[in-house]
Amino acid sequence: MKKIYLQKPIHLIQSTAGRLPVYIMLVGFAFIFLLPFLYMLSNSLKSPIDLYDTTVKWLPHHITFQNFKSAVFVLDYWNRLKTSLIVTILAVFGQVLSCSFIAYGFARFRFKFRDVLFLLVLFSVIVPPQTLIIPSYINFSKMNMLGTFLPVIVPCFFGMGLNGAIFIFIFRQFYKGLPTDLEDAATIDGCGFLETFWKIIVPTSQTSLLVVFILSFIWHWNDFFEPSMYLIDVSKGTLTMYLEIMETPIAMQKYMDQYTIAVKMACTLLTILPVIIMYILLNRRFIRGIEHSGLAN
Amino acid sequence: MKKVSAKFSLEKRKAIAGWGFISPWIIGFALFLAYPFIKSISMSFSKITDISTLDSVFVGFNNFLYAFTVDINFLPMFLKTVTSTLIWTPVIVIFSLFIAVLINGKIRGKAIFKSIFFLPVLLGNGFVLKQLLDMGITGTNGIITIPESFYQITGSLVGDIILNFIGQLTVILWKSCIQIVLFLAALQSVPEPLYESARVDAASEWVIFWKITLPMISPIVLLNCIYTLIDFFRDISNPIVGYIIQNGVKSLNYSYGAAMGWIYFLFIFVVVITVFAGMRKLIFYGGEK
Repeated sequence: MKKIYLQKPIHLIQSTAGRLPVYIMLVGFAFIFLLPFLYMLSNSLKSPIDLYDTTVKWLPHHITFQNFKSAVFVLDYWNRLKTSLIVTILAVFGQVLSCSFIAYGFARFRFKFRDVLFLLVLFSVIVPPQTLIIPSYINFSKMNMLGTFLPVIVPCFFGMGLNGAIFIFIFRQFYKGLPTDLEDAATIDGCGFLETFWKIIVPTSQTSLLVVFILSFIWHWNDFFEPSMYLIDVSKGTLTMYLEIMETPIAMQKYMDQYTIAVKMACTLLTILPVIIMYILLNRRFIRGIEHSGLAN
Repeated sequence: MKKVSAKFSLEKRKAIAGWGFISPWIIGFALFLAYPFIKSISMSFSKITDISTLDSVFVGFNNFLYAFTVDINFLPMFLKTVTSTLIWTPVIVIFSLFIAVLINGKIRGKAIFKSIFFLPVLLGNGFVLKQLLDMGITGTNGIITIPESFYQITGSLVGDIILNFIGQLTVILWKSCIQIVLFLAALQSVPEPLYESARVDAASEWVIFWKITLPMISPIVLLNCIYTLIDFFRDISNPIVGYIIQNGVKSLNYSYGAAMGWIYFLFIFVVVITVFAGMRKLIFYGGEK
């Protein structure tokens, strides 16, 4: 039989009226967070007429996709995209693998000098990279790695690279929050430490893996400082490096007539498009969170 | 079932396993960081005589003294960076925790909000964001425009101050995405039974937050505090970082750049260690015995 309420149950009243301020706040902040993307999109669709028309602010009157065509040409898009993808994917793979592994050592085992070494890990992330860039350059030239992307990729497999220490720190904090019961049980059953790591820790820490994967991907994708230091021939560079080159006087002169704000925004949008796609693809899993984690497993 | 070797105690085996797990980092450190570290420190204590071979002579603390006593640019930039970091870090951490708790609550459209609040991270710290900032957030070509009538009400001076503040706040909000995500991940990993048993005991949501949620996510609070500090200090748009690049990379003044870098580093290090030490007692690690 259907339940008949004389009055709306209290929890329903609370959930609609009581939460209205929450929604208003969230929508307001969400708008601020969406702004940069709306701005890029709106500007990249503007035709030259719209650009000079001061009454056109957000909604272009004459929508054009010509800007994207120019952007693809100016950026040498498809070749750069390929380079960017290869470099980023290798680096991210290395970092997720090595940082989760290393962090487990710091989070779960007691050994001599552990805290000193962890301090050293933090050290390496606090030192402004600009301080170390010249000696690093010399170091990589001794290893014959200059002129390639190896200085960006190889350190990632050793828990270093761009913000590697931050990822070790992220993993460590998450591991430390996990209850040890499962691992203890595994140890009692005679499971080796490596096996425990692969079979228990990796599956249960999916959220942190995903967080690190996404962050590492985004940071490597957007980084131009290090690759442009080590890669001498910039014409083989990544998309983001190209975007930076567009700001130099030489490029400005070369593409002066084509490089309007609209094209510029089209370029930026095209540059971060793969990141956006990656995010949309992973979003579902990311949002679902770690329903299958911890002791529930 | 494997045989547990009788030679080593569990304690000992764990220590060896620990070294094994962190060994990639040690190798990496020896290969990629040890030399730059040492070289950079030695550079900061010397004066380079030949730029191509980096030959140098030892000059003691000269570079460091120069930064504090002669260079009129260094100290003001340094102090400006420090104050803005110390002011904005708590704001960001509290704001992002607040948003994360809101999103994690019982609301509709959870997935949409979660997705949106992460979006600015996609811009990274890199060039895309820089270009947007160059446009000026509240400028004429900027992202936020305020109607003319606003100026008429406030007067141009006050109007500018408010606009400036809004602009700064917007950037700050964009910078809190990663913290929001980390908090969300932490909030989701708090075991549900804890909440259930608290609710059975008729604890209010407010009490539950302070007694259960906050202690359970405290490792991530620490992580976020440290992350925010570091993120702020290392930001390329910081005047002091720009100044270090200018000296240490672009104008080939390597040793002075290195010296400033290490002064800056030492300061950040002291701040980070203070935060670590200060929060040590407040942090609850679920996995620690």
